[in-house]
Amino acid sequence: MAWLNAGLKGHFEAIIFLRWRLFVNSLGSVRGRLNFVSQSLVAILVAGAGVGGGIVFGIVAWGFTDEGKLIWLAAPFWFIFLFWQSFPVMATAFTHNVDTSALLRFPLSYRAYFLVRLVLGALDMATALGTCWSLGLLIGISVADPSLALWALLAVACFLVFNLLLARAVFAWTEHWLGTRRSKEAIGVLLLLVMVGFQLAGPALGTYSQRSAERRIQLLKKFLPVEQALPPGLIAVSMVDADGGNSALALLSLGGVVLYAGGALWLLHLRLHEQYRGENPQAGEKHRAASGEPGIRRGWKLPLVSGPISAVFEKELRYFSRSGPMIFTLIMPMVVVFILWGGRKAFLGQQLGFLFPAGAAYCLLIMTNIVYNSFGGEGAGVQFYLFSPISFRQIAKAKNLAQLVVLLVEVTILWLGVSVIYRPPRLAVLALTVAWLLFAAPINFSVGNLLSVYSPKRVEYFTFGRQRASEVTLVISLAVQLALIGVGALAILLARLYANLWFATTMLGLLGLGSIAGYATVLARIDRLAMERRDVLVAELCRT
Amino acid sequence: MDVVAIATEGLTRRFGDFTAVQEVNLTVEAGQFYGFLGPNGAGKSTTIKMLTGLMVPSAGRVRILGLDLAAHLVEVKRHIGVVPEGMALFGRLTGAEYLNFVGRMYGLDRATAAQRAQELLEFMELAHQPRTLITDYSHGMQKKLAMAAAVIHGPKVLFLDEPFEGVDAIAAGTLKAMLQRMIARGVTVFLTSHVLEIVERLCTHVGIINNGRLVAQGSLDELRSGVAPGALGETGDNSAKKISLEQFFLETVGGVRSTAQELSWLG
Repeated sequence: MAWLNAGLKGHFEAIIFLRWRLFVNSLGSVRGRLNFVSQSLVAILVAGAGVGGGIVFGIVAWGFTDEGKLIWLAAPFWFIFLFWQSFPVMATAFTHNVDTSALLRFPLSYRAYFLVRLVLGALDMATALGTCWSLGLLIGISVADPSLALWALLAVACFLVFNLLLARAVFAWTEHWLGTRRSKEAIGVLLLLVMVGFQLAGPALGTYSQRSAERRIQLLKKFLPVEQALPPGLIAVSMVDADGGNSALALLSLGGVVLYAGGALWLLHLRLHEQYRGENPQAGEKHRAASGEPGIRRGWKLPLVSGPISAVFEKELRYFSRSGPMIFTLIMPMVVVFILWGGRKAFLGQQLGFLFPAGAAYCLLIMTNIVYNSFGGEGAGVQFYLFSPISFRQIAKAKNLAQLVVLLVEVTILWLGVSVIYRPPRLAVLALTVAWLLFAAPINFSVGNLLSVYSPKRVEYFTFGRQRASEVTLVISLAVQLALIGVGALAILLARLYANLWFATTMLGLLGLGSIAGYATVLARIDRLAMERRDVLVAELCRT
Repeated sequence: MDVVAIATEGLTRRFGDFTAVQEVNLTVEAGQFYGFLGPNGAGKSTTIKMLTGLMVPSAGRVRILGLDLAAHLVEVKRHIGVVPEGMALFGRLTGAEYLNFVGRMYGLDRATAAQRAQELLEFMELAHQPRTLITDYSHGMQKKLAMAAAVIHGPKVLFLDEPFEGVDAIAAGTLKAMLQRMIARGVTVFLTSHVLEIVERLCTHVGIINNGRLVAQGSLDELRSGVAPGALGETGDNSAKKISLEQFFLETVGGVRSTAQELSWLG
């Protein structure tokens, strides 16, 4: 670290020390240790993906080089580029961002701040995987044609630097745009829709693949000049030129990549410099008061249930309606229908009649996070439940009622979607689906209520994805979902043996009676359990 | 005849080997404005959590309005209002929706809950932002809303954990006036605060906790005269000159530091 001056070196050491202590301190609790186990598993998976992917990319690069199709190297470079740039952005939308302004209160020079952000920011999964895979390409090219090894090294180095700088620039700008709660919600939903769009691309590509090869090539040719003017394409062009002995042209292409890297560096500088000067988008959010007419409407009153249950039900639905993830959950059934319909040959084969039950099972599955950690979104608000004169039984009942309503709305949308896009499910299939839901939903609610009390974890409704339930909850919920789907599949299998779907429906209906009884039993005991676990609830959900 | 609003017997809370609150015996009579003081980490919030049912005691009993808290948890909760540490707000509701919700959870009918919510929002000067989510409120606004929620059902005992923290002087004045009116109507207020001036101006009685033990308890006058039970420097001499609450507090919790402890390198 001789190139660092003493101050900068001190800053790096302090930040490394901070991260190390945060890690060590986190191991002091059971939850921290479980997180460590979970993170270790993820690290092993990432390492596997890095090495495995590197080998695959190496083989691909070797194949293209060996066959003299160097221009095709653009494909793996494009894949790495897209992954590297999109993954951190999605992760940003899904998680709480580290408040970088915390660093700014220390006397860091801009150079130090820039370097700290660049270096620490680069220690992420996308960079690790992107680097491993790029090295795989380098090795593959070098093994296939050793005379290209130096060029490949230079090209991959340019590619790595460009990706690193661009990823940091994209991250910094995304962080800026996601700086406020409102923009975070909006962009979060947008990104999810983009992700769904990718899934929908499968069916679209299916249609496209039916076109003739000639038309496909013509279409691709139209995009080729654009593709070759962008960094992954430039890298491939540079390799082709190097292979053909046109060093000057090869250098020119690499120069293009360097220019792109310079552009990324400039974009990163623009953002970080603004940040360094103290710009903080969150500061203005609280000053933008929402306008509107004063006046208070009465709360909802549901028939057959008490006022407090109606109040909790209303509160739950208001929360759902203001939560990006929940809105996303509500639109997912239709997306599933499209995906299943589009990829029907691959997914369902001859089982198209089971589109509706499969979608219904998915509806239940995507509600797992909400059902299995139902107090997670309350934060400090959970204290209110503890000091208010309402039993946890009533609160759980109201929450389950709201969750059931959402589930029913989803299943209804799904039914409509299947009916319009394909055809209305047969009565036997409809009855089977209802029977399975009757069996599965109470079990989900029972286990969900227990885990919500036993293993709560604070989540924020306006962040997507990674702020999920605790590791314990995730493992148990996965096991329960597999068991529920397994029982459903077993029932259908048995029905097939008897050539009568109503057999499965009856079987699931009977099991449903048992699961409702189990739900009532859990509900009767939830008060005592919640009181026993109140310390954990408050400690876990009120932590900031 | 005085009625005891809050009483504890041997109230203790342990976290593993650490004892956060040890055998605290509190007595707060109905209509008292009771300030619960202590240095950081002394056990104030842990005590208030046990008094309000947010935390189960390791040992000891809590009686609120003559009812055993453990045995009559729901009945006690109907009569208390709480502003806990963290405020217990639901950030994704508007202020009006939250107050409406809280009122109905305390059993108010829909019309009453809506009417009181409106009145409280106007009283707290929060009515001008009806569509703003609580999560977008400032800290002071959230504190005022938490206070409004704690009183919407007309509690007989009010527990407030640091109610004036982060509240501006105007809002603090409003809250103090409201609390004093509640005291005048017979409500018991139990509050914790770091700000001794607030306690000195508002409270009639004070308890001081240090290292988990109740080290002094009595009326403000008794404490300042040094005659309160458990008070340091108790002389029994009523003619002794009264000291300020701050002086008494610092002496009681050992907070007086010698100048030798100053950091010499500070400019």
